[in-house]
Amino acid sequence: MAKTTYFDALRASRLWRSIFRSGTGSSTLHNALAIQQNVFLHLFSTKVRRRMVSFSATWYLGTLTFGTFLILVITGILLMLYYHPSVPQAYADTKDLQFVVSSGLFLRNLHRWSAHAMVFLVFAHMFKVFYRGAYRPPREFNWVIGIVLLIVTLLLSYTGYLLPWDQLAFWAITVGSNIASAVPLFGNKVHFLMLGGNLVNANALLRFYVLHCMILPLAAIFFIAIHFWRIRKDGGLYAYHSEPSTLAAKGSSPPDVAEALPKGVS
Amino acid sequence: MPSSTNKPSLRQILFGSPIRAFGVVSLVFLVSLAIAPAKNHFSEWRHYQNQYLSLIQGRGDAVTLRRHFRGGIQQNWLPELGVVDRCTTCHVGQKEATLTDVGLQPFRRHPVMAHNVDQFGCVMCHRGQGAATTVEEAHSSTLAWEQPILPARYTEASCGQCHRAPLAETPELNLGRNLLAREGCVHCHTIKLPGGDTMKATDDPPSLSHIADKTTREWIYAWLKDPQAYAASATMPNFKLNDDNVRDISAFLVANSTPVAGDAATVSAKPGDTTAGASLYGESFCASCHAVQNAAGNVVGGNVGPELTRVGNKVKPEWLTAWLRNPRVYDPPTGMPHYRFNDQQISTLGTFLLAKSDSDFLANVHLDPATPEQITHGKTLVQEYGCAACHEINGIKRPENFAPELTRIGSKPITQLIFLPGMQHALPNYISAKIRQPRSFGSSLKMPQYTFTTQQIDALTTALLSRTDRAQTIPPALAVTATPESTYQPAGKAGQLMSDLACFSCHKINGRGGDMAPDLSWEGTSVQRAWLQQFLKNPNTLRPALIRRMPKFNLADSEINLLTDYIMTVYQTPAFDRDSIDSSGDSRVQVEQGRQLFYSKYACQSCHIVDPKADKGYVGPTLTQVGSRLTAAWVYHWLKDPQSLRPGTVEPNRNMSDDDARALTAFLMSQRSGGRPGNKAAKVQGERVPRLEARK
Repeated sequence: MAKTTYFDALRASRLWRSIFRSGTGSSTLHNALAIQQNVFLHLFSTKVRRRMVSFSATWYLGTLTFGTFLILVITGILLMLYYHPSVPQAYADTKDLQFVVSSGLFLRNLHRWSAHAMVFLVFAHMFKVFYRGAYRPPREFNWVIGIVLLIVTLLLSYTGYLLPWDQLAFWAITVGSNIASAVPLFGNKVHFLMLGGNLVNANALLRFYVLHCMILPLAAIFFIAIHFWRIRKDGGLYAYHSEPSTLAAKGSSPPDVAEALPKGVS
Repeated sequence: MPSSTNKPSLRQILFGSPIRAFGVVSLVFLVSLAIAPAKNHFSEWRHYQNQYLSLIQGRGDAVTLRRHFRGGIQQNWLPELGVVDRCTTCHVGQKEATLTDVGLQPFRRHPVMAHNVDQFGCVMCHRGQGAATTVEEAHSSTLAWEQPILPARYTEASCGQCHRAPLAETPELNLGRNLLAREGCVHCHTIKLPGGDTMKATDDPPSLSHIADKTTREWIYAWLKDPQAYAASATMPNFKLNDDNVRDISAFLVANSTPVAGDAATVSAKPGDTTAGASLYGESFCASCHAVQNAAGNVVGGNVGPELTRVGNKVKPEWLTAWLRNPRVYDPPTGMPHYRFNDQQISTLGTFLLAKSDSDFLANVHLDPATPEQITHGKTLVQEYGCAACHEINGIKRPENFAPELTRIGSKPITQLIFLPGMQHALPNYISAKIRQPRSFGSSLKMPQYTFTTQQIDALTTALLSRTDRAQTIPPALAVTATPESTYQPAGKAGQLMSDLACFSCHKINGRGGDMAPDLSWEGTSVQRAWLQQFLKNPNTLRPALIRRMPKFNLADSEINLLTDYIMTVYQTPAFDRDSIDSSGDSRVQVEQGRQLFYSKYACQSCHIVDPKADKGYVGPTLTQVGSRLTAAWVYHWLKDPQSLRPGTVEPNRNMSDDDARALTAFLMSQRSGGRPGNKAAKVQGERVPRLEARK
């Protein structure tokens, strides 16, 4: 690595240095600083063992879920440019996306399939966490955050279902909201609150739009941030003691939690 | 293999290091993203537009066509109609007048039509999904779009969404609407019209309250089994009833019938022979309304009244006598005129009609006397089959909404229909199959079997397809309304007499009545009193090509005077005074000048006859005695603008100057009957004609 590349020159430039504060070196310190001083990456551990990021440990299910979420945010913002949440216009807009907007159908399909994939991946992720015992202390709170994220994901899926404003959407939301009204005592109030009325109509469309594009994504981002941050706080991706197969193979008792914590935990 | 250990595997090349893996995944992602713009670029409509451009290349009109051509997605947006259509994106040549030789779709020129595409769009008439830009989505019914393109033979249905009155350009739609009313569809099926009215039936199903006076139980039995076996042109459909049901219904109808006083009439007069009967039948112009099946099997005659081919099998002689004497006793609102027949004529005509029978017709019908159970069961059946929707029956209320409402059948979602196996899932196919064979959708269905021709089924389907959501909801300002139906009824004694003679069965007056005979709304302005009196006494035909004429009603002189007075006083046009032009003082010069104009400038003889020996015009009425028939004012104004006096007449408007019209009036008013000077003039003119004849 003695050779100076263009990339090294770029990293040494004043402009680069003004943005990235970690310096030009490639020492462990520099690498750690690059992580720690980045507003997005500082949620993660500054240093992990290679073994911890191996495919077999997590099947990358959490990361993939986050990836689909990013795709959904990007395509969702683009779709918002073409969509009016109003009764006469909503269906016509989805038709226009299909027939007139350049790559509009691709955009819609990408959004739709990513949404399906996200729901699938969230479940897969939770099964993996469950069967690997990763919900156990000290990660029990992150499991709860995960449950919250599952609910947010499902709600995002459900609210998005109404927006094309076709027959499928209308009846799906009608059925879904009627299920809510079956809740004892305050079911009808919940039903009314959800739809902004007694029927799926313009108010429901607007309400679902605001939930789908504003409230729920913000909630998801908020809880995702906590979720990621807690991974580091709870001992990283791969805690030695929560690996039953390792225990069996090594035939030894697990080290205590403090020992298992990575060095960089702060 | 030993070599494989040295060579890196494919997996190692692609995913050997994180950098490589990242690169490969990014590349795959980029390529898959590129599919979207590529698909966009190779879209169907771009393909068609390119095809069009190469099609017009090298044509003589290529420069013009290319100037008209606009690339990219084209769109008609009509917010007030809720129309967005992009059909013209691919159908690029539809407005090009010079593309007559191109038969290839989507480039074919649209046939000449009354509407502009820019104002009406395409889907208003053709349906389909206007917003779509692919062939499949635009033309077909898909998961997200139910209404495919309307097959071309039903396109007139779309005209009917806005045009509520008949149009000359939509014969099929007009026929279909006519059939809906005439074949009694709307007795059972409600069809609401946008104005708030419902479609009215124009057939007149007879009341069955006094049926036993008129006919026998055996005839009812045979009729119910198969109405068309009795009369090929019968309106009554076949309910496909089994023998027991028919037996019980006939038992109920006969038991339920109440007698009408005077139906047991007899005449003592001896009937004339068959030829006398046939000639009385002819003279009375019964055939204008009633048809008879001839030996060749063709039904000949009018369709206003019932077919009489086997009337002898049906009616009882006493009833027929009473009916011929005065039909209004048995059925007050009947369209049949009250002929003033004398006993001799009634006997002759009655005998002639009773002879119209088929000895085999009732030969196999043997009914035992009805039991009370049969009568009760008959009543249940009559209620079940909704007989009272059409017929008045003692003690049975007319059922409301007996059959499904058809107000918006043209927009019925196909997911709500049950199709037969093998049937194309499209609304027109469903409707026409329902009309063609209703019971094929289930033997328990009540809708009876009609005997429609394919053309009639298509017309009915067209008329039903026009009953769409849009037809109901279109803003009134955009709809072309029909003239409201007139309920005009003349007042006083004359009015009673006109009802008795059923004038409105054939004549239209002030918007009400039939179209078999001339409109009489302005008859008082048009004709001379003496002629009208003579005509009512003894009607003759005015048009040489016309076989039908007004029947002779054998009116009394007092009745004739009453009618004449009423017509001459009341039926006047507001446009001009009938006495405003006096032709009695016309000079010979004027008459001669008119003759010149008649034969040379306007060549009226090509349609009209003034000189029976020389003229050969058979289109218009004969004018040999027009001076005794019409008023000068009417003739003058008719020549000036015939359409203003009778909309739709074939008489052309020749834009005559006042002087020409006046001279022609003078000539025509000189054509009088009974050796008047005008007739002499005709003879004089007869000698002048050979010159014209030689030219023919």
